[in-house]
Formats: sequence, C-alpha cells, structure tokens
Amino acid sequence: MKYNLNVAHLYGDLLNTYGDNGNLLALKYYAKKMDTDLDIDIVSLDDQFNPKDWDIVFFGGGQDYEQTIVSKDIQHKKEDLTDYIEDGGPLLAICGGYQLLGHYYVGANGEKIKGIDALDHYTLSQDDNRFIGDIVIKNAETGEIYHGFENHNGKTFLGKGERPLGEVQSGHGNNGEDQSEGVIYKNVYGSYFHGPILTRNGELAKRIILTALSRKYPDADLTPQKELTIEPTF
Amino acid sequence: MSFKSSIAKMAGKSSYWFLHTFRSGGSSLPGKITTKIDPTILKDLGKDYDVIVITGTNGKTLTTALTVKVLRQKFDHVLTNPTGSNMEQGIVTTFLTDHKSKKGKNIAILEVDEANVIKVTQYIKPLAFVFTNIFRDQMDRYGEIYTTYRKILDGVKLAPEATIIANGDMPIFNSVDLPNPVVYYGFNNQPDGEMKADPNTDGVVCPRCEHIIHYKFISYSNQGKYYCPNCGWERPELTYQLTQITKLTPNLSKFFIDASNFTLHIGGLYNVYNALAAYSVGKFMGVPTSSIQKALNDPDERVFGRQEQINVDGKEITIVLVKNPVGLNQVIDMVGTESEPFSFVGLLNANYADGIDTSWIWDGNFEKLTQMPIQQYMTGGERYKDITFRLKVAGVEDNQLWTYDNLKDAVSNIKNLPTKRVYVFATYTAMLQLRKQLATEGYIKEGI
Repeated sequence: MKYNLNVAHLYGDLLNTYGDNGNLLALKYYAKKMDTDLDIDIVSLDDQFNPKDWDIVFFGGGQDYEQTIVSKDIQHKKEDLTDYIEDGGPLLAICGGYQLLGHYYVGANGEKIKGIDALDHYTLSQDDNRFIGDIVIKNAETGEIYHGFENHNGKTFLGKGERPLGEVQSGHGNNGEDQSEGVIYKNVYGSYFHGPILTRNGELAKRIILTALSRKYPDADLTPQKELTIEPTF
Repeated sequence: MSFKSSIAKMAGKSSYWFLHTFRSGGSSLPGKITTKIDPTILKDLGKDYDVIVITGTNGKTLTTALTVKVLRQKFDHVLTNPTGSNMEQGIVTTFLTDHKSKKGKNIAILEVDEANVIKVTQYIKPLAFVFTNIFRDQMDRYGEIYTTYRKILDGVKLAPEATIIANGDMPIFNSVDLPNPVVYYGFNNQPDGEMKADPNTDGVVCPRCEHIIHYKFISYSNQGKYYCPNCGWERPELTYQLTQITKLTPNLSKFFIDASNFTLHIGGLYNVYNALAAYSVGKFMGVPTSSIQKALNDPDERVFGRQEQINVDGKEITIVLVKNPVGLNQVIDMVGTESEPFSFVGLLNANYADGIDTSWIWDGNFEKLTQMPIQQYMTGGERYKDITFRLKVAGVEDNQLWTYDNLKDAVSNIKNLPTKRVYVFATYTAMLQLRKQLATEGYIKEGI
C-alpha cells in the first residue's frame, strides 16, 4: 500500500460493547480501497497517549463499570488528548467515549462521572428509560443521511462551538429534545450510533481517512482516494 | 395445602388438560392461571422436591438436559422443565403437571432464566445452583454482565444454604463473597503460559484492584486459568477438572474429566463445558462415575437436537442457532473443526427474539471463516444486507457470495451449493422461517 496510518484504539480492551469494534474493521476495509494500510494499537490503562504517534483515534463505549475505571485513568491523558483534538487530529467517539470527551456524564447511581472537558457537552441520565431503536439523521453541511441503532440512557447537550453530526429524521438523538444527534468539533466526530456507525455509513469512514491522509501526507495527490465511491451497505 | 392452593392447582391442571387435548401445546398458560389465583403456589408445588437450579447466559438448555440424564442414572424420579419454559409460569406448569413418586426422592432440575431465579427462591430453597457462564447477550434485552450476575445473586441471597456449583474459569463467579458453599469446575488441560484475552472480550477486569487480568491459559472468551498480575487475585481451586481433550469435530467430542474418559455426541468446546457442569452435579449428588459416563456417552437425539442435520436433496444441512457474540464465536470455532469442504450460509433477522440491534455480528470473528475450506457463501434473512457486508469486510470475495433477499430463494438455492456439507448459521426467527420453508417443501415435518 502507498500510505500508512496509525490508529489508536482508546481503551479497546475495556470499552468494546455493541460491536463497536466493527468501526475499526470498516476503517480497515475502506482504507484498503484507498491504498492505505492501518496499524491499529490499543492505548489503555496506565499507557501514555502521545499525540504525535497517532493519525486516527477511535474511542468506543463500554459497560458502566469499565467506563468508571476509564474515567479515572483518562484524566492522566487529558492534556495530550486535548492537544491532539485542538491540532485537528481525527477522532471518532461512540456512546461512552463521546460522553467522556465532554465535561461529565451521570452514572447509573446518580453520580457524576468526569470527562476530560476537551469538548463542551455534558450528559445527564434518564430515570428508568433508554433511547433504543433505529435512528436516521441528516448532516446539515453535506446532506448525507446516516443510519444507525441507538441504545443509550444518557441525554447529551451540546455546548458552544459544537455542531451536531446530524439532525434527527427518526429516532431520539442526543437527548430526545432538540433533534440533534452526535457532535462535530474540528475533526472529532461523536455519536450514539451503533450498527456500527462506519459499517453503515461508509462516507464518514472515507472522510475520516481522507482527513488523516491529508494531515500526514500534505503534499500527496489524494484524487483517487477522494474519488472512491461508497456503495450502500444498509 | 391451603384451599386457595387447591383451587389454583385444579384450575391450572384443567387448563393444561384442555390445551394438551384440544391444542398442541401450552406450557406457560396453566402456570399463568395458577399463579394468578395463588401467587405463592410454587411453595406448595415444590415442597416435596430436591431442586437444582441451572442458570447462566449460554448452555442452560443442554446442561439441564445432560444433568437430567446423569441424575436419572441414580434417581427414579427426576423432573425438569421443557426447553424454553425457563420463566416463572413455565416452571409452575412443570410442577403442576408432574406425577411425583410417593416413595423415594423427587428431584427437580430447573433451567431458570437469570432474572427469574428470585421468583423461584422466594418460595423454594434449592439444594444447589449451577452457574454456567455470563456473557454479554443482546443488550437491548438484558443488559450488562454485572447486572445479570446481580440479578442471579438477588435470587441466591434467599437461599444461603444452597451449594453453588459454578464454572470456575469464569472470573465473575469469583468476584463476590457469598455465604453459600461453593464448588468450582473448570478446564485444566493446557500447560501454563502467559497471556491476555483478546481485546474485544468482556469481563476481564480484576474485581479487587481494577487492573486487567492475565491468564495462564484461556479456553475461550474470558474463561481460563486467570490471575491478576497486580494484586494476585486468581482462579479458585477446581473440584472437578477437565484434564484433556482428545477429539473435537463438529459432531463429536472426546475428553477426560478427573481421569475418566467421556464421549459426547456433539461438537463445540462450549458443549464440553456443559457436560462438565452436568458431571459436577452428578458427582455432587453421588452418582457413580461409570453411570455419568453412560449418561453422557448416550447419543440421544432429543438432547442434541439443537444442532440437527437435515437432508436436502443429498446435501447435509446443519442448522446452528446464533444469538450473541460469544456463542457465535464458539460455533465459528466449531465449524473450524470440520475437515471436509463445506458451504456457509448466514441468515440474519432482527426481530425481538433475535435482538433488534444487529451490531453484535461485528463482534463475531467471521474473518476466521476465510481460513476454512469453504467453497461457497450464501446470505439471507430480513437483514441480509448487514450479514452480507459483514462477510465482505471479513474478506469474502463477491464471486464467492450468493445473496438473497428472501428465504424461499435461499432455500431453493441450497440445492445448488457445490458441497455436500452445508452449515447454516441463523438467528432465532430466521431459523423458524427456514424450518417453515423446509417443511413447506417437504424436507422436514411441520412443527418439529
């Protein structure tokens, strides 16, 4: 392959619910079509996250117990992750990962679980209810329609400087109130989508890979990569 | 017996008689009627039995069936609930319709859904519990492994004297201190090494110090000889041990438990665990080893029916039910023990009984299929697009893959597959639809 990207799977050995690992499989699949090799490594408890080492970061969701453990450990990676994000590093965060990039989320027993404040959202909990089911959203800038399956108790509210990943066409989205779903901030994409998001929405996988390629290979001609047609998979 | 219990039992029994005489079934309705009249009916129904409750995510049904066979070697009257009737009302029906023996011991082996353990222990104090395993199921229905275990323990708390016979290779069963006596069974068939579970594995956090546990060896998923390199927490001592596996094919397993050899007429490492659980209950109940061997070695079709072979115009079709990632990975490994060339069919639905979220197929190691002697792939079911893309990402080429958007076409093309052996992986409702289609075309009898 002509190009090579290093992918950090944040806490991949602790946060691995709902087939989210499929996002990495999809990234690999599309990267291959874009003449790009992906090297995927886990960055977990007690590991250092060095922003310079990574071209793409994936941060999935997990069970309550594991997420509480991650919330403590990730405080040591807070600065480095924030630097990576502010520098325009592409990052995809799903569910718990999405929540932990923000200020906090409220856990099952009502306690506040700390995030890293890298993004300006926060997440509350609902009493005895989850948003479960198929969901469709539309991205305002590209007009792209994304399909997913949501399954979350958390209600996330976006802050200043954050745009939603899409407007809810059917389903609940971030909080069931403001029709927003997910977040875009610089090159960070956050979402509650399972399915997984990148296996059903190849356009997003392509965009993340393109962003990473243009950061790492600023002088490369990426025309063939940009011309890749994404076949519908859902 | 109270007057209310008598009325309740009479009403339940007559509804059972009606359903069985005029309809072809009815295993939960009589229980429903009976519990409606007398909610505490289980207390009365269960009082003359030594009860053993079998619970966990995967393997309950086969473990229960094998345990019944083992105990029938020694005891004249062993009652059990039929497959699938593992919730409260099905269990009430089971007792209600039993003709218990007047002399000798009555034993009841009950397969109980995790959340229903408490509904049994409210009224009945079992002699023993068997914990098979706890894996992540489709979480839109059940929730996280810790929640599931808590539900089981809520029920166990009401029976602190019952012995727990638990899978010792499963870390979660050693995470909470309980007043109950506990005996563990597990695998001791590999030399000590040093490893971690695959990253995409659930339940690998040390409950004492929150570090990731390591293993001396792993049987599959997060099961094995685990220990915590940080605090020393480790697998408890095993009372019953599998010491060697000598043969593993898709329909046969040979192995040694505590130095005695066994043959099981079904494949899959997960089924060896089920047999080990049944063996452990047998030993616990004083069944001689030779009798346990006899019971487990019996090629009983009713017991092993979940993986049945159907003949379709000379093709040997094996239908395998898949419902969660760990189970899926186990059956992928099971077909990996096939030595003949074969075809692979994946049928995916997403109705309530299948789990309405299909994300879990991405936790299945379909990549392994591409290393097997598979000559043709076929996909179908209501969510054929999901399973098709999963296989493509796994590395299956377009020209190796036939895709059908309806089961009728899928079934008629099974005949055109290039191999004699065909493995069909199907989710629950896809399996029912497939069976119906096969029945319509006369390959199997309706309703079996």
